[in-house]
Amino acid sequence: MKVPHDGAGGNYPGTIKVIGIGQSMRGDDAAGLAAVRLWNETYMPITDRPGVQVELAELPGIGLLDLLEGAWVAILVDAVSSDAAPGTIHVLHEAQLEAFSKSASSAHGWGVAETLSLGRKLGIHTLPEILVLIGIEAGNLEVGTGLSQEVASILPAAAQIIEQRVSTFLTAQPHSTSPRISPR
Amino acid sequence: MKHDIHIPALARVEGEGALTIRLKDGAINEILLNIYEPPRFFEGFLLGKYFQDLPDITARICGICPVAYQMSSVQAAEAALQVTISPDVRLLRQLFYCAEYIESHSLHIYLLQGPDLVGYESALSLAADAPDLVKLALRLKKIGNDLLKTIGGRSVHPVNACVGGWHRWPTVEAIQALIPELECAKQASIDTVKWAAGLAYPDFEQDYEFVALSRLEEYAIYDGYIVSSTGKRTAPEDFEKNYIETHVERSSALHSHTIDDKTYFVGPLARLNLNYKLLRPSARQAAKDIGLKLPLRNPYKSLIARAIELVHCTDLAIELANQYQPRGPSFREIHLRPGEGVGVSEAPRGLLYHRYVVDEQGLVRFARITPPTAQNFAQMEADLWALAPAVVSQPQEQASLSFEHLLRSYDPCISCSAHFLKLNIEKS
Repeated sequence: MKVPHDGAGGNYPGTIKVIGIGQSMRGDDAAGLAAVRLWNETYMPITDRPGVQVELAELPGIGLLDLLEGAWVAILVDAVSSDAAPGTIHVLHEAQLEAFSKSASSAHGWGVAETLSLGRKLGIHTLPEILVLIGIEAGNLEVGTGLSQEVASILPAAAQIIEQRVSTFLTAQPHSTSPRISPR
Repeated sequence: MKHDIHIPALARVEGEGALTIRLKDGAINEILLNIYEPPRFFEGFLLGKYFQDLPDITARICGICPVAYQMSSVQAAEAALQVTISPDVRLLRQLFYCAEYIESHSLHIYLLQGPDLVGYESALSLAADAPDLVKLALRLKKIGNDLLKTIGGRSVHPVNACVGGWHRWPTVEAIQALIPELECAKQASIDTVKWAAGLAYPDFEQDYEFVALSRLEEYAIYDGYIVSSTGKRTAPEDFEKNYIETHVERSSALHSHTIDDKTYFVGPLARLNLNYKLLRPSARQAAKDIGLKLPLRNPYKSLIARAIELVHCTDLAIELANQYQPRGPSFREIHLRPGEGVGVSEAPRGLLYHRYVVDEQGLVRFARITPPTAQNFAQMEADLWALAPAVVSQPQEQASLSFEHLLRSYDPCISCSAHFLKLNIEKS
């Protein structure tokens, strides 16, 4: 299955972007990429879903702002590191991100929370109105290794959570081209 | 400072790094810069891989400079397989590299080192007070990003470069459509040089040996001969004879020294000092307008060098985009043969060296990757020692910031791989 590259498909009113983030060659750091790939293979071919875009981004850093541009909803799927057991799935909304990043992890100075916070602070109006982070607790982060058993085994559950969110937002998808609501 | 400083995670540095400074009787007794450096792990990972997979794998070493890794990688593989690329392929590679410089330099100038020089803790706090400055940085970065995506197929990990050329030519229309934005970027870069010249840089000059690529006819970025400020010239294939790496126990990174056991400095300051005359006229004019005097020996002023390179790269990108009219196939057919080859290019952070040995099936049997940060590592530590006497009398927090700022001025890319790390900062 071909996963569309950045920006494929163009913008559609009510665009939902599902973005997998991670480093594919560093153990569980690839969890977000793997979960989005599995969801894409399992659920996406079922129906025609205009406005749903899939992105796989390794280490986007502040480039995440460009990936988020034009989306109504962004569902980010990333590996996270807190004190939870490897394989634990966290579902966080934007308001919860900052607290999470302070207590746990960030992307070398340009984590998801920080990047979003910068975008919001600058009033970038093309950022998503709604953002959800599906975080998968990482265990092994050794370079050159694959996913740990704990993380590999929860990928179907993670894909299912992605699908639940996508379906919910599809139902609520606005189909008008009226001006976008300013970000909160 | 009255206590030791331990910074387990350096902020605004690309990657994972830790700094520990230990005091004894009020004086600095030990400086430990620990850098986790994955390119070494990648060397092992490349073994047994097919040569055509190298550009894709090495691009994943770093999220900030995938082009540099790809360009040194394709050149090393092409040298090993005795492949000559066409002038059109080279032109597009130069343009590709401009895209990365625009992205990487605008990020470092405004969002990584800039906040230190204007007295902000981070780009976030800078954004609150000077949103237009940060927006300018993001716009510049986006222009580089759009160019990179147009050529490379993707912005974060481009997929179009291959050994022998490109998988496909981007359309002339797509490249030329970016010219108006590049014109804006050029003007913004000229303004950036002026802004950079007005910042207050710490007074710190050292007598460095600068090392960079050089070419007779152009400001070397994509390829070149290795030259040093001592006058020494080194063919790329002799790099390992003149620049030696040794293992340091406390770090996964190797330390580089010249054959005479001296530290050396790669990066924008080295390029500017050694190749100034080959900059585009517009970049030289921007330097002249701020009264720039060379050589620059203050590492903090790498920011000025980056700003001048930004003018050079936007200007060059406009010319290359205008010239882009590819003819013929986008890649050369490759005949497998065993061989060894070296590829060097100037990553935004400095000289990046790759050497591969491939066998008769095109599989990698040996890989050596020497990134710029590894080469600067020993010089960074020497600079920390040189800075220490002035810092030891500062309050603890300021002392810590002073050391961090010096390191950030190098724009170290020290994880090249990890995309997250713990942020629990402890100071003893």
